[in-house]
This record gives sequence, C-alpha cells and structure tokens, in this order.
Amino acid sequence: MFLRVSSGNLRSFLRLSLTGLLVGCGAGASPSGPTQAPRFVRQSGDGQTGQPGATLPPYQVQVLSGSGSPEAGVMVHWTVTCGQGSVAPDSSLTDASGIATAAATLPSAPGAQTVTASAANGIGPALTFSSRAAGVDSFAVLGGGNNVPERYSSDFWVAGGYAYTGTWNWIQRTGGVGGAIKVFQLGGDGAPTLVDSVLLTNVTTVSDLQVSPDGQWLVATAEGNTGEGLYALSLSDPAAPTQVAFAPVAAGLHTGTLSEIGGKLYAFTAKNPGNPALVVFDLSEVATGTITQVSSTPIPPNYGIHDTFVRDGICFAMVWNEGVYIFDVGNGVAGGSPGHPVMIGSVKTSGGEAHNGWWFWNPATGEKRYFFVGQEGPGAVGTSSSGDIHVLDVTDLTQPKEVASYHMNGAGTHNFWLDEPNQRLYAAYYNGGVIALDVACTLEGDLGFREIARVRPGGSGNTYVWGVMLSGGFLYAIDMLSGLWQLSTP
Amino acid sequence: MPDAKRALWKSRSEGRFSGLAALVLLLLVRTPATAQAAPWIMLMGQGIPSTTSVNPVPGGGSLTEVRLVQPVLMLQAAALADHLTFTGTANLEGLTIPNGELLPGGWGEGFYDRRHPHTYAHELLVTGQDLLRGTGLPLRLSLSAGKGFAPFGSDDPMSRPVFRYPVNHHLAQILERAVGIVGIRAGPVVLEGGLFNGDEPTGPGSWPRLSRFGDSWSARLTLLPAAGLELSASRAKVHSPESPSGAGPDDWKWHAAARLDRRVLGGRLYALTEWARTSEANGFFVLRSLLAEASFDVGGHRPYYRFEQSDRPEDERTTDPFRAVRPHLENSIVGITRFTLHTLGYGYGWPAARGRLEIRPFVEGTLGHMRSVGGGIFQPGVFYGKSSLASVALGVRLSWRMAGHRMGRYGRLLDEEAMPAMSGPMEM
Repeated sequence: MFLRVSSGNLRSFLRLSLTGLLVGCGAGASPSGPTQAPRFVRQSGDGQTGQPGATLPPYQVQVLSGSGSPEAGVMVHWTVTCGQGSVAPDSSLTDASGIATAAATLPSAPGAQTVTASAANGIGPALTFSSRAAGVDSFAVLGGGNNVPERYSSDFWVAGGYAYTGTWNWIQRTGGVGGAIKVFQLGGDGAPTLVDSVLLTNVTTVSDLQVSPDGQWLVATAEGNTGEGLYALSLSDPAAPTQVAFAPVAAGLHTGTLSEIGGKLYAFTAKNPGNPALVVFDLSEVATGTITQVSSTPIPPNYGIHDTFVRDGICFAMVWNEGVYIFDVGNGVAGGSPGHPVMIGSVKTSGGEAHNGWWFWNPATGEKRYFFVGQEGPGAVGTSSSGDIHVLDVTDLTQPKEVASYHMNGAGTHNFWLDEPNQRLYAAYYNGGVIALDVACTLEGDLGFREIARVRPGGSGNTYVWGVMLSGGFLYAIDMLSGLWQLSTP
Repeated sequence: MPDAKRALWKSRSEGRFSGLAALVLLLLVRTPATAQAAPWIMLMGQGIPSTTSVNPVPGGGSLTEVRLVQPVLMLQAAALADHLTFTGTANLEGLTIPNGELLPGGWGEGFYDRRHPHTYAHELLVTGQDLLRGTGLPLRLSLSAGKGFAPFGSDDPMSRPVFRYPVNHHLAQILERAVGIVGIRAGPVVLEGGLFNGDEPTGPGSWPRLSRFGDSWSARLTLLPAAGLELSASRAKVHSPESPSGAGPDDWKWHAAARLDRRVLGGRLYALTEWARTSEANGFFVLRSLLAEASFDVGGHRPYYRFEQSDRPEDERTTDPFRAVRPHLENSIVGITRFTLHTLGYGYGWPAARGRLEIRPFVEGTLGHMRSVGGGIFQPGVFYGKSSLASVALGVRLSWRMAGHRMGRYGRLLDEEAMPAMSGPMEM
C-alpha cells in the first residue's frame, strides 16, 4: 500500500516477494532435497463400540515413504496396552497398499480398550486405537427434583449428609431479590429433603459453593448487587449454615475452588470483568471472621476467568478465549505459592470459551495425563446451549496440548465430576441433561464412542443441568429449572 | 492473542485508520478546486422536550417521565470547492438522559426499555467528496474517515419523522464507530464500503477502540431508479460488538430497504420499508426485523405511522431492571422477545427565524404486544405483568436547520433532493 511505506513494510514486501520467487522456482525444479522420514498413519477402525467380547471390524494402519508412496512389507506389531480383550494377529506385514491390519476382540465386560500399533524399522511414532465394549447402562432417577420452584438454581456441593444449592437470580423467577442457599438433608437412601434456606440479601446470584475438606465451612462466591464477594458460613449445625465471614469483591466472583496448601485452606476465585483476576484468599482464620486476600493475578479481559481447578499445588484457570492457564501455587515446580502464583503453561482450547476443568488422576494407570475442559458456548438460558468437552494432555504442564473432544448435538457442557477409581466422567450438559463418559485408557480424537449413558432428569422442557457431583454412591445433579436430583450411576 | 501479535494488530489497525485519513488528504490535494465555491460553515441543531408515558415498564405498572431528548448540535463545513467537508455532531443525551429515555422495547449498550444516551461525539468526520470531478469520468468518488456511521442500513432514527426510536435501531444502523468509508456513484448506482471497529460504545464518553479499527466491515448498495426513490441492500460483519476486548462472537448483518421521499399532491410523502436480520454467534441467535413507516407533510401538518415487528435479545438484568449486566460474563442470553408495534402520530410545524428554525409540537401513541421467540427463561408476560404495551408521547421538536437532514450518509452520493439539509443555505 502506498498509504504508509515504512522500512518494516518494505522488508515484509521483499521477504514475501523473495519467498514467492523461491517457492515458484522450487516447484518441480529439482527432485533433490531433504529426505523425509516414512510416515505411519491411522487408516480406519478407531473409536468403535460393540458388545462385550465382540470382535470388531479391523484396525488398519498405513506406512508411507517420505515421498508419500505406500511401503509394502513393513512389519507392524499389535498390542493391547490398556483394558482387557485381545488383538490378532499380534504382528502383520503391510501389503502393496502399505496397509497392515489386525482385529480386536473387546473385553468380556463393559469397558474401554486401547490397542497400540508399532511399526518396525523405527517408523513411528506408535499409533493407538481405542474402542469400547458397551453394556446396557443407564441412569435412573431415584429422588429429588422440582424442589426449588421459586428460584433458578446454580451451583451446589454435597457433604456430610447434606446438599447445599445456590440460586441464580439474574432474571427473577418468583422468589424475589436476594441469593438463597438451599439446604437439603440427604436421607439414609440418599434422597434429598429441603430443610432450610439461607438468604444472602444483597446478592443477586450465589455463583459457586464448596464445603471445606474438614466439613466445617461452606464457602460461597457471589455476584451482582452490593454483596458481591466471598462468603464463609459455619457448618457447626450443617442443617443451618450461619455466615461468619465475608470478603467484598467489586464486580463479584464467578467461581471459587478450595484447596489446602501448606496446611492452610485457600480459596482460588475467579473475579469477574471488567478487571478479571485470579484472586486467592487465605481462609485459615475464617473462624475469627477473617478472610484475607493474599494475591490477585490479572487475567486478560477476554471475558476473563470463569473457573479454577486446584490440585497438588497446581491451579488451572479457565480463561475463556485465552484457554487454560496453569499456575504453580505451591507445588514447587516453579516456586509459586498462593500469595505468588507463577504461570508455568497455557494452551488455547479449540473454540475458546474455556469455562471449567478437572485434572484427571487415573488410579488404574497412575497417569496424571489428562485435563478435561468444559467449553461454554452460546445458549439461551433454560432451553439451549452449546460447547464441547476438550481433553488436554498435560503430561508436560509447561506444554499442554489438546488431544480429544466430545460433542453433543443440540447441547453444551457445564460442570464436571470425575469418578476417578472407575474412570468415568460425569458432565452436566444443560438442556442435554447429564452424561457419563468412559475415560479409561488412551483419549484421542472424537470421544463420542465413549458415551455410556445420558439422562434428562426433569424431562424435556424442564431440564437445564448446571452441575453434578458424586457422593455416597449416588450422582447428584443440580438443575437450574428443576432443582436438585438424586441419580443412580450407570 | 499473544502480546506481540496483539501489539502488531493494534499498530496495524491504527496505521490503517491514519492511512485512510492520509489518502483523503492526498486525493484532495490532487483534485482541482474551482474558484466559484467558497468555503462555508453551517450550524445545525435539534432538541425535543417531551413527556412519555409507558405501560408496562419492567416489573409491571406504568411510568411517566419528562425529558429533553435528542439534544444535538451539528457543525458542517466545506472547503476546496466542496471537495473537503467536515461533519461534527455533538449529542448531549449523556447530560439530559444519563439513565436513558423511556422506550418500550428499546435496548442496546446495557439498557432495556430505555434508549441509551448516545456518545457526546456522535459524528466527527472528514470527507473528501466528488474527488473525480474534473477528470471527465462519469463517477462520483468520496472517501470519509473519522467517527460516525458505517455504511449499513437506513438513516438514523433521529432524522426520521417518527419520534420514538424503533426497536431495530441496533439491527438497522451501525453507528459511533471509527470508520473509513469509500463511496462511489455511477449513474443511478451507489456503492459504499467501510471498515470500522466492532465494539459498541460503553457510555456517553466512550471512544471507539482504534486498536480494533478494521476488525469489522460493511457494504451498502443503493439504487436510485427514479427521483426520490432508493432501493438499498447492506451487509456487515461486526466483530464482538458487546465485548470491547474483542472476545465476543461476531454479528453478521443483512439489511434491505426501499425509501421514497418525493413531492406529491402538494405535499411531501416519505415512506420507508426495511427488513433487517442479524445472526449472532455463528447463527446460534437470529434477530429479525420488519419495519414500515410513512409520513405526509402538507401545509405544516404531518401525520405519520409506523409498523414494526422486531426481535430483541434479552440479557441478564442488574438490580435495576432497566439495565443489563455489562460487561458480559459469557455468550448466553436469557431469551429473545419479539415486539409488534403500531405507532401513530401527528405533528404541526411552524417555521421561525426566516425558516431556519422549525417548531413542531407532536403527539404520538404506540400500541403493541410482545412474545417470547427462540427459547430462554425470559417470559415477557411474567417480567412485565402482561404482554401488551402502550405508550404516549407529547413533545416539541425544535430543529435549527436540521429539518429533513439525513443522518448517517456521507460523501454527497445521493441526489441533492434527497439530502435537503446538505444542499441548504451555505455561508461562511
């Protein structure tokens, strides 16, 4: 352009021109050049489901030379590397098309299986195929439901035989102003019964709730009106929480996560825009009515920060279109602490809108490899939603990368709960209800075949599930429209 | 976006904007000036003291307010034989209606059922117009840069006969942006294209983010098949209008209109029919509008009527039910409400100050209803206590040389007859 010619523009122009010339001259000019390594690619068969014990249509891999032509006669080894079942043959040669084939037999009981294909001659890396033996699994609605008719429900927590549910009042239902915390007592059969309601009068929405690990404190974040901030309520009588401390935060807190680090209880909270931040509070003196802010880490204002997940001194912050930020807040890998979070890695998830997450520690494999991210896409609250589950490989926390995703047509995900011993992810899916995913073995690509079951507890038109939590062998689900539900797991 | 990349984009955006301004000046220098047209400057203005009664308002019940609305001071100037023009419009609504004007169905910039005050610097624009005059080419070329309207949709409602703003203001106009506009006319065809910043203003004192200049664009094709008749079609992509940082989803907008403004039966007939469609977040939300309005001026009398059926997105509300949560917390809405409205009005205009001032009292009434479309928990019948609405307005439109001015078009690309104020008396 002639509008403004700077030396930088000129350099860019020359660079582009020269690059174009080189590319143009190079096309077909000389067959010589750097030799490319052979490629080992997955052809077909990944992500199947079948009856337990069934033999699946074959898995196929292809070996291609550096120039892209098929390589025949390359030995490929097949091994079941996760789960039960078998694969046969355990070795096969590539044919004239460069393709090697093997067939997997699924486990005799429902579950996932991963088969690894490795090519000889150092051609790689190895490829994995995951499939799942599906049972006739389903959720069952056991109790609860339609128990908060005057307000829309928000987040919740279950502990000590009680469930505490928040309310969302950005648009009032019939219950008037003020954010309420509903207290449900869980019976011997786990069924919830409403026993109390605590009103935070100057709060619009109780946005998040969690009970401290020792069961003494119910901690709530709040947004809207003059009472925005962090609340701590005593659970000395778990049926009647009483407020003991409050830390005001202008613009409000969207969520908070409790974690004990160095013997102290901290809340890692997500401060709302316009100046979003990861704000950490020390709750160790909450019994004296004191909540102390120990740090505030600014987050880019791309809608800011929505949720956090803290484990082993590592804090994952879901920062919308910026993706996921990973901080050392006491782990020691980078000298961070709650008072001085140190960012050690980040990744932008596809589609952005990173909302919530869970770092999956798999007791079956000992791996701490996967981090699940919920994407909160556009929706019409109460009826429609969008957004997928994204899976990050966080083997290297400094360089996380996205490896898999799950998509549900017509609905989007919200909060998760991981049943780690059984390797199952339960995800709230707003108008899609609740789903269970088998997250055993290797997670790669489209996880649709891993869906075990789904349920819309309130039925069509009365389901908009915010969150789920496993407790006492039951899965509890909080639904914005229809309140607290008790479900059996599939 | 990494910091370095963001800085590069910001630098490029600001560079594009200043580059366009430089291009306007460059072409002006190259354009031969004729001796006969002297520089001129003209002051214009408007203000409407009015009272408006509405039933229902959010939460139910009725409300009446008296306000001075649309207080506008406008300065237009030209030099270099009219090749260089300046348009500056100060809108003082931030002072007279800081909490908005009662307007059932109104929305935008965090306001609901109140029209938000516009920014103080409503327009601030330099235009190089008729830049090819003297070249012998049968073309009219104009370039504009500054703050103003993007080339999209219909004229600003402030300059139309109906007092109340339409529900579709944010579907049928894109305004108060840092714009760079190229316009060209060949015979009866006018084509305009513009780049601008996608972010909506956030308050009366806010300015466009120059770092976002060029992240949005619009184009408008206008056909002039007969005197006083215009047919137009517009298309726009507006990036993240509701999130100033640029984190929000895009709007894709369509607009088509037919406009008639001509003398008939001893009077002046004005009519506009327009259709608009805005698709947000990759089509997740679609907002539609259909509007038809007409007025007839004869001997100072002006009866007028408007039919409108327009969709409004519903956002989470603050403790003030007229206000929505800003900035947004995510990309969800709580519903879409469709307003169907009939507005009937009558005004009578007295000229004063040798025709420069027009004093036009008016009375105007609106009847209509609203219903939820597209899902969501927002139920207008619950929120307002009923699903029908009515409003009455009484006021006096005081116009100093603004009568007939069309706001939002630049470069003198339309016929002179269609832009009466632009071709009005000029003086230095």
